[in-house]
Amino acid sequence: MKFFKLKNSLLSKYLLIILFALVLLPFTFPVIMIIISLPINQGDGGFIAVEERYKDGLKLERMWHKEAGQLEGASDAEIDSRLMGLKEQYPKARLFWVDDAGRTRLQLPVNPEIPATWTPFYTIQFMKERINGDPFTIVAFIGKKQDGFMVFEIPRTIMKPVGARVMDSYNTIIIGGTLLVLGLFLFVSLLFFYRIRRRLVRLQTAMTEPTESGIPGVVEALNSDEIGRLETAFNGMVEKLESSRLREAEEESLRKELIAKLSHDLRTPLTTIRSHAYSLRTEQLTDKGAESIDLIDRKIVYLSQLIENLFSYSLLSAGKYPYRPRSVDIVRMAKTLFAGWYPVFEQEGFTIELDLPEESVHWTIDPEWLERVLDNYCQNAMRHAKIGRYIRLEVSSESGGRIIIADHGPGMGGDSADKGAGLGLSIVSLMLKEMGLRSVVSSSGKGTTISIMRVERIEFPPIG
Amino acid sequence: MKNVLYIEDDREIGQWTASDLEKRGYAVEWLTSGEGALERIQTADIVVLDVMLPGLDGFTIGQRLKKEAPGVPVLMLSARTSVDDKLQGLHFADDYLTKPFHPDELAARIDVLLRRFGQPAGQEVRLGHLTVRPDRQTVIDNRTGDEIPLTAKQLQILLYFLKHPNQIMTKEQIYEAVWGEPYMEGDKTVMVHIRYLRERIELDPGAPTIIETIRGLGYRVRQ
Repeated sequence: MKFFKLKNSLLSKYLLIILFALVLLPFTFPVIMIIISLPINQGDGGFIAVEERYKDGLKLERMWHKEAGQLEGASDAEIDSRLMGLKEQYPKARLFWVDDAGRTRLQLPVNPEIPATWTPFYTIQFMKERINGDPFTIVAFIGKKQDGFMVFEIPRTIMKPVGARVMDSYNTIIIGGTLLVLGLFLFVSLLFFYRIRRRLVRLQTAMTEPTESGIPGVVEALNSDEIGRLETAFNGMVEKLESSRLREAEEESLRKELIAKLSHDLRTPLTTIRSHAYSLRTEQLTDKGAESIDLIDRKIVYLSQLIENLFSYSLLSAGKYPYRPRSVDIVRMAKTLFAGWYPVFEQEGFTIELDLPEESVHWTIDPEWLERVLDNYCQNAMRHAKIGRYIRLEVSSESGGRIIIADHGPGMGGDSADKGAGLGLSIVSLMLKEMGLRSVVSSSGKGTTISIMRVERIEFPPIG
Repeated sequence: MKNVLYIEDDREIGQWTASDLEKRGYAVEWLTSGEGALERIQTADIVVLDVMLPGLDGFTIGQRLKKEAPGVPVLMLSARTSVDDKLQGLHFADDYLTKPFHPDELAARIDVLLRRFGQPAGQEVRLGHLTVRPDRQTVIDNRTGDEIPLTAKQLQILLYFLKHPNQIMTKEQIYEAVWGEPYMEGDKTVMVHIRYLRERIELDPGAPTIIETIRGLGYRVRQ
């Protein structure tokens, strides 16, 4: 990957997001400060002046003591009126006074927490609470003879200047702002990765869901970033697969044609030879001549069997014989198939034993394939186990089902009049393997037993 | 004499087989290609067709012939591998023989096919002491000359056997052919109907001779 291609890179996109977040973070605080203080600064000046009045605690204290001192010897009514005057001056403050007998007098406004009579205990408790407490409290004795005391209370927040009040929530703003930027960053990152993921999943779906031809379909490459290039590469691969599939199909049809032609060209002269050998039989022949003709005929059959097997094997091993599995009741299938073979064995004087269950046994296989396999076994029994004159067909429903074909022939090791080259059986084993079946053959001089059963295998999801 | 329409491109085989079949008592019309086959199908009793013909493929000709005359049996001869041929299927052919075939076997197959197809409607079939008239849907007891009354299903089963002489039919096949619905596992209908049918037509229903039971497989009617 070259650097000047960075503009089409997912990496550079993500770096941009991180950079943006880093730049944004330090600016958050001042920006928020400005946003918060904007409406206050724009407020009317009178508001600020009122605030100014309460700003200085010392000033307020001096003012209060001075007022208290001036009220020396004043009557209750005078004190009341003065307090009312002060209340007008300091509307946000709470004012009250207590006389020398400890009775609460005028309260501006009335506070239900203040008792009507001040006990010494309550007085001490009040004083203790209010030292450096909130509200800010000033207690001043009225006059010098201690005619009582007057109290000035004001919530501390009012005393603070605007800036200081904002400074108070400084931490909250910083944390809030950081969280906001962080959240925004996380959200954008999430969105970024979500979109990448969606595109990857789309690509994966295209790869795993092949079209009818078994090859994945082409995907639309929308961007020119890494994933876009991956999609383009994928499309290139699909195209190559498609063309190789076409070539393969072409080769396949050529191969089939060749095999059909070869088979035809080999069999046609064999047919002629056989028919002429047959003609010869009708001529006057010595015993030896007749024997020779029989031998020729047998060898022709054998040769044609070889041709059949060779070409079938060639087609099968190249996977050119279509396999169309479906759920098949093998009991019924074996029954129908054997109903066809029954007269053949009967004619040869075989003892026929059948053991088929009443219930059905289902296998997912291509019935044509299994028929061909069973036909092959029956044919073998017919050809090679004639001396035994016994055939048994059994279908058992136990452990997933099994088909058993048994004869009393000379066994696989034995010598049969026309022994095949074993090619027929390798076709059978190839077909069984393809169907997910296996056969167990036990053979002795007294006969052969073939069991066909399913191979227990783990099911994989289909690939490609 | 039965007419055999024989289509074979190989002259040596064609000549020999045609004369062999003639010796066996058939009237043979031998064509070396599919041309003109369609015109001759109406007079033929059976078609023996080679799969690999020059020009038109044997399969194609077979299909056309079958469409033209569905009542004429078609026997395919093939020199290809059976795997390959099985791909194209034997949907239209009634039987199939691979080369190099034995002349006796060819003659035997032709015989079987002619018997299977050769009973035009109305021809009576003799089964032991019975005479069956498919056209009149009647079964007559030859000893008395009386008609044996059968239910519709019993008659259908008997006629189904006659359509497949000497073949073993499983109860599933019989059920699906006569009742026209998929066989349900464990259904005893066919067994019961055959028992009643035997009570009507067999001399000794306990030891049947007309409908033979093949234990474990099904039933068979021999002709």
